[in-house]
Amino acid sequence: MSRLGDWLDERAGHRALLRAALDEPIPGGARWAYVWGSALTLSLVVQAITGWLLMSAYAPSATTAWASVAHISHGISGGWVIRGLHHFGAQAMIVLLAAHLMQTALLGAYRRPRELNWYFGLALLGTTLGFALTGYLLPWDQKGYWATRVATSIVGTIPLVGGSLQRILVGGAEYGHLTLTHFYALHVGVLPAVTALLVAIHVALFRRHGITAPVTADRQKVDLFYPKQVFKDLVVGLAVLLVLFALTAHEHGAPLDAPADPASDYPARPEWYFLALFQLLKWFKGSLEPVGAVGIPLLVLGYLVALPLLDRGPDRSIKARARFLAPLAIFGLVAGLLTVQSRHADATDEAYQRARALADSRAARAVVLAGRGVPPEGPLAMLRDDPEDRGRALFTQHCVACHRLGDLVPEGSKAAAPDLTGYGTTTWIDGLLDNPDSTRWFGGTAFKGMMPSVVHPPADPEVAAIWRPMSAADQEATATFLDAEARGTGGKGLPGEALVRRRCTACHRLDGATDDDASLAPELRGWASPAWIEAQIEDPGSGKTYSKGATAKDLEGHMPAFAATISPADRKTLALWVATRGRATEVR
Amino acid sequence: MTATERNETNPDRNAAASPPEPGPRALRRLVIFGGLCYAGALAAPAASFVLAPTKSAGSAGARWIRVARLVDLPERVPRRLQIIADRRDAFTLTRDELLGSIWVLRSGDAVRALSAVCPHLGCSIDLAADHQGFACPCHASRFGLDGAAVAGPSPRDLDPLATRLVDGWIEIDFRRYRQGIAERREVPT
Repeated sequence: MSRLGDWLDERAGHRALLRAALDEPIPGGARWAYVWGSALTLSLVVQAITGWLLMSAYAPSATTAWASVAHISHGISGGWVIRGLHHFGAQAMIVLLAAHLMQTALLGAYRRPRELNWYFGLALLGTTLGFALTGYLLPWDQKGYWATRVATSIVGTIPLVGGSLQRILVGGAEYGHLTLTHFYALHVGVLPAVTALLVAIHVALFRRHGITAPVTADRQKVDLFYPKQVFKDLVVGLAVLLVLFALTAHEHGAPLDAPADPASDYPARPEWYFLALFQLLKWFKGSLEPVGAVGIPLLVLGYLVALPLLDRGPDRSIKARARFLAPLAIFGLVAGLLTVQSRHADATDEAYQRARALADSRAARAVVLAGRGVPPEGPLAMLRDDPEDRGRALFTQHCVACHRLGDLVPEGSKAAAPDLTGYGTTTWIDGLLDNPDSTRWFGGTAFKGMMPSVVHPPADPEVAAIWRPMSAADQEATATFLDAEARGTGGKGLPGEALVRRRCTACHRLDGATDDDASLAPELRGWASPAWIEAQIEDPGSGKTYSKGATAKDLEGHMPAFAATISPADRKTLALWVATRGRATEVR
Repeated sequence: MTATERNETNPDRNAAASPPEPGPRALRRLVIFGGLCYAGALAAPAASFVLAPTKSAGSAGARWIRVARLVDLPERVPRRLQIIADRRDAFTLTRDELLGSIWVLRSGDAVRALSAVCPHLGCSIDLAADHQGFACPCHASRFGLDGAAVAGPSPRDLDPLATRLVDGWIEIDFRRYRQGIAERREVPT
């Protein structure tokens, strides 16, 4: 081992390099205050490693980005851990940067002759925020998409060059493939290279000037970087890593919102460390907006740049520099207050909470659908074709004015048509047979009074005299038969079929046959099955469900035909949704 | 800039000129141990992620795909047919995608199907110029019309695929096999 080391050292001289790196003297001794730079470097390593892994499975295009990220989170083993570490690691970088900046400010480490290194540090703050802004978009989910639209629109408000700058960033006028590839190139190519260069210079300048010990430190006491300071750095690095793992485990990886949907109304919020800027925009309205969006951030940056030029006095103690540090404290305090204010506004905003809950349920649904495979057209097409989502939307658009189904309730709870909650189930049929004129069934329709109850005697005394109630067993058998028809499994040969043929076909049709051709009662073969519902939506008077007479002009309030207003594919989707959703909402 | 130059410009550095203090042995060991913990904590999920493709759910079982009607195939003339079926590629599900092609040879009601993937290194097999067998365009392996390897580097015969007739349609059990080995081993999905 040592012979190999000798052989290598003779050629590479690595031992001297290692000694030079580790034997950095630290006047005043190792301190916990000095850990932030190393903790940031370690976090940067975590970001690089997890970033490379994510790159190996990420597909940057508007049709594949979201699907590939969903696949990383839910399809690849360990993928959720890698994404979680990268996501929370990015936030840890911001926290550590703030700590590093605070340490540098409190110790006065920005002062002559270290001004340049302060500026390189500020540049690194810039690239880190650049990483955050570009990385946020890459999953191409609602959160990243809308946040990026806002951020690039802010760029667009910059006088003169804003419009062109925005188009360069976005890759044109529209957000799409090129926006992603631009941000991806920045995130994994340009920013890492620039950051690596800046870190190299930052560390080299730091080594040139050495640590800035507190004024009270005993400078006679000198520790070497290794092992005393390395130990402290490593303890903090491990603690940060532990927090990252804990957050990843707690949140089960990084969040992924529903796929980016330009047609949706999404309650866009930036990541927490931009909330102060976000809130600031609410204070500067109208023509003052550029002040909040660009002016104030530039003012803060300007002060950070000016700080080493202003603070040039002989005394480096915090007390002597209080007036220079005070603005920093005020910036921090105001940013904190704005963040709290923004959080509070959202927490107490019911409309926001509702929109957020809806967005979360969409996200969960999208992930379920993605597990079955995303079509080449992308996740938006997947959502559009989702029978659940699309069916619900169609029902809301066309049906809920008259029909209720579960949580979809007509305005003012006034349902003119039968309640489709539990539609097709034995419970629904039993209720109908008991009391067809209840407003839950046909009481609100033009057919009120046409169907007799099987248990309550008819009002007409003459009819009542010859009327016999149906036995509970027969009613159950009838319901079981109709339930089988509704399921689409077919009730042929069930005992209930004979009962229906004996008792119901006086008015109803079964396989088209009825005793009373003038009756408006519907076909019972396949009743409430997806195919039956589809035919009903297309044209209730086609004879496949109800006869032509059931849609007569003078029969006010009958169901209209949707052949002209809902496309065939949508009718199929809607029928299937009503059948499955109705069954799923059965109330026992 | 060398270390000596730097030390001249900074009086604090003179400490570095004296032989370095090794520091407490226990602390150095602790630091190395901590460093290994840090690397290990990252390496474990990273390894799981990188090795994910090596895991397989095993053979998906038979996958019968319709390729042609029997009556449309000429007698004793090899025909190249496309395999068209749904394809799941990581996160994308494509309907009716081209999955590959096969060679079929009909004699009467019997149909022989051969994978068009060369068992040597996976190039696509073509009909030989004389139409009396198959040839690989990459490394010049030759196969008979029955799929037997007759010349070239191929370690085994062409891979036969099971066929069946359903309502006058030829259906193929489409499978993939590993290349470069004499044994015929299916690639698990």
